[in-house]
Amino acid sequence: MEYIGEHLLIGQIGNFFVVASFAFALLSTISYFLAEQRSDDAWRKMGRVSLWIHSLSVLGMVMTLFIMIFNQYFEYHYVWQHSSSDLPLRYIFSCFWEGIEGSFMLWIFWHAILANVLLISVKKWEAPVMAVILSVQAFLVSMLLGVYLFEFKVGSNPFTILLREHPDFASLPIFQVPNYTTAIDGRGLNPLLQNYWMTIHPPLVLFGFATSIIPFAYAIAGLWRKQFIEWVKPALTWTFFGIGVLGTGILMGGAWAYEALSFGGFWAWDPVENSSLVPWLTMVAGGHLMLIQRKKGTSVLSMFVFITLTFCLVQYSSFLTKSGVLGETSVHSFTDLGMTGQLALSLMFFVVLSAVMIAINAKNFPKPEKEESIWSREFWMFIGALVLFMSAFQISFSTSFPVINKIFGTELATPSDVADFYNSWQLPLAVVISYVVAIGQFLKYKKTDPKELLKKLAVAIVLSVIVTVSVAIGMSIVNPLVLGLLLGSSLAVFANLDYWARIMSGKIRTAGPSIAHVGFGLILLGALISTSQKKTISQNTSLFDISVLGETYSNSENILLLKDDTLMMGDYFVSYRGKEKDGIFVRYQVDYLQPNATGELDSVFTLYPYIQLNPRMGNVAEPYTKHFFQKDIFTHITYAVLEETDQESDVSESVIKLGDTIFAKNCFMVLTNLNRQPDRGRHNLDSTDLALGATFQLFDMNTVSHSLEPLFVIRDQQFSLSMPDSVPEVGVKLYFESINPDTQDFTFRVEQRDPNDKEFIVMSAIIFPGINILWIGCILMGLGTFIAVFTRMRRK
Amino acid sequence: MKKTHIVLIVVIAVVIGAMIGAISDSSTYADFAEAFDNPGSEFHVVGELAKDKETVYDPQTNPDMFVFHMKDANGEEKKVVLHKSKPQDFERSEQIVLIGEAGDDGAFHANEILMKCPSKYTDGEVKTKAEASI
Repeated sequence: MEYIGEHLLIGQIGNFFVVASFAFALLSTISYFLAEQRSDDAWRKMGRVSLWIHSLSVLGMVMTLFIMIFNQYFEYHYVWQHSSSDLPLRYIFSCFWEGIEGSFMLWIFWHAILANVLLISVKKWEAPVMAVILSVQAFLVSMLLGVYLFEFKVGSNPFTILLREHPDFASLPIFQVPNYTTAIDGRGLNPLLQNYWMTIHPPLVLFGFATSIIPFAYAIAGLWRKQFIEWVKPALTWTFFGIGVLGTGILMGGAWAYEALSFGGFWAWDPVENSSLVPWLTMVAGGHLMLIQRKKGTSVLSMFVFITLTFCLVQYSSFLTKSGVLGETSVHSFTDLGMTGQLALSLMFFVVLSAVMIAINAKNFPKPEKEESIWSREFWMFIGALVLFMSAFQISFSTSFPVINKIFGTELATPSDVADFYNSWQLPLAVVISYVVAIGQFLKYKKTDPKELLKKLAVAIVLSVIVTVSVAIGMSIVNPLVLGLLLGSSLAVFANLDYWARIMSGKIRTAGPSIAHVGFGLILLGALISTSQKKTISQNTSLFDISVLGETYSNSENILLLKDDTLMMGDYFVSYRGKEKDGIFVRYQVDYLQPNATGELDSVFTLYPYIQLNPRMGNVAEPYTKHFFQKDIFTHITYAVLEETDQESDVSESVIKLGDTIFAKNCFMVLTNLNRQPDRGRHNLDSTDLALGATFQLFDMNTVSHSLEPLFVIRDQQFSLSMPDSVPEVGVKLYFESINPDTQDFTFRVEQRDPNDKEFIVMSAIIFPGINILWIGCILMGLGTFIAVFTRMRRK
Repeated sequence: MKKTHIVLIVVIAVVIGAMIGAISDSSTYADFAEAFDNPGSEFHVVGELAKDKETVYDPQTNPDMFVFHMKDANGEEKKVVLHKSKPQDFERSEQIVLIGEAGDDGAFHANEILMKCPSKYTDGEVKTKAEASI
């Protein structure tokens, strides 16, 4: 069949760019390899030209895919899968990297940018460094090839897979129509990603991942040339640049989780979060080992191990998220595209390459003449690096349970209290690291006098003891580990501030490390206070006594709020006011009230937690947080009835006389009186209205009495109006329909619905104290790292 | 013995400890039979909702309790008491993973639940633009 309106040319152009970027990555690798082996400048030039063509092709394929998404060419499976015609323009970038292919493309793009920037400064290291980088590029671009090699699928190509040729869709009748492209619409971007944090967080994390290639390439080049320390100087700045970028990216992910997901915190130990944190930890360790090497010439082996390990862990992280092995254990993971083998192969290649090259050269690494003193800075930096490694190992091992299960056939799983599972190891390690960070800068390279050290630290020690004692008393903390970290992290903050102010005399140029370490201390402090002291205030205050279930199951985290009822919750009273639908969001208005001086409840603030109607991922509750200086109040809906209850209410009519009784399903009502002077204000009656109230006494199932007074009103001496009255607790609404003056009969209409149908929400509210300390720490750590990078660049 | 050796031994000890600790603290995937043979220890049980049985969620009395029945992979059906609020979209779930333990009352008591929901646009279905006609 001849199809009309398909844009096949652009796919061919895209595919051409993919093939070209793969071919020139290979050519450039080989040229640079030969240039290095033969010290031949012609090959180096060839490598460089190939690198440029490769980079242009990468730019070309990125632009092509972007144009396809922008123009909504839904005939392409990738475009159809990740965008739709109603998508706001600002999320168009998110469509680009939502899928595996696009995220690979972005990663390749960052590598290409970095390689070209690096060309400016790389000089005599060009051939070996670029050979490594381009070989990585070749592996990554192969993930986009989408060809079959002896039955094996190599890569998945977004430019060649047409929707009508995709096995899942090919048989659809719509593809029998030649101009089907005018009719189809895309599946759309996952609504979870339609969030402003998500337009910046994934590209930044990918950029951070990409930066790990530069120290790695330098390290391999150093091993290759057997120049084991010369590469450290040019690579060092890049390592700290990577630490800054990846750290910022990860923390933005934390901010996203905190603001937009209902994890109930900024870190959920999700496998994918973990697998981006682990390379950051080893990169920090590796960067500090490089510093030791520069100053003292030691730690060569461990430096090589950590720098190559970081890159391999980045590859491993990509393997975990993109191979589908994590399956249902993570919110982040992609679905399996059948590339597990290819991803594993690429990972194994770099692991084996690093291990072999380190192993054959290890005996020639320069050795220190004598052991470093226990009172030297390098010793404690080394200890710090090892503690970071242990922390990274514990996280990585537990995150790898799905992989271990696949290989060994075990059935391991992380327990339900996953935070506790990780914290039992991470907390003690964090205690050690906080003290290392605190004293590190005060120690001199080589040897320090312990007494002098103590003297220098005295101010910081006094201040942090004061902080620790006051926080511990204020929040009644007794756990020794928590106290230890409290003291350690405040010491890290004060000691580094002090160091910068006194020893560095407050100069901005040298402030980088101190500010970064202060930030790190604040992150530990903020994380410790906000997680260990977080308090769920939405305890169940309803009638039911939860303790009858026994101690084990008394996890009351949620509160039920009936519409317009006011309940006490923590220091507040809360009231649910109603909901409002806004596009794909249903917003719930929850008022927080507090008694004022006269004892009346005043609304202090209003929160609008919402539910995102998300047909692809299931509906998602998104929190709404009230920020105070010293704490946050985090509120989110855990359950709400989304479908309108169109359940018919029971309607019945009764004709009765004064003193008669109406029986309804779960109550009865006695007409006790007729009121000729009803409360006009309550019903907004006009002064000319004639009104008659029928006073009822209603008894519910528990024989509790309620009174009702529906009105029968004659307005302008013409129309009759019925003004109903209701008892919401019982679900009864009573209308005064008519009066028969002759027989003294009164007609009433009773509407009764199940009182449980009254609109309600179940919500959870958590107070996070001190969370702002964490965010300030994040900003300072990023700032400090970039100042340090900048200072180093200027020094060159 | 050199200091580096002591440090290395400590690192190796911690690494081994972390592995053993992680494995011993971990939960395992199991079926109902195994979970009920070991009451009091935590398991992950995979299964699907028994759609013929009633589900009870009465937030007015207890918003943190939801009762339903689940069939595990072997087809064994148990009453499940989830000590959380009822998950949104629960009825649409295709597959459920419960994390919890067997109770004395013959029910499985879960603290956590993970659900796999089918996507609305199942494979083999293409949405068409509302305004377009063929």
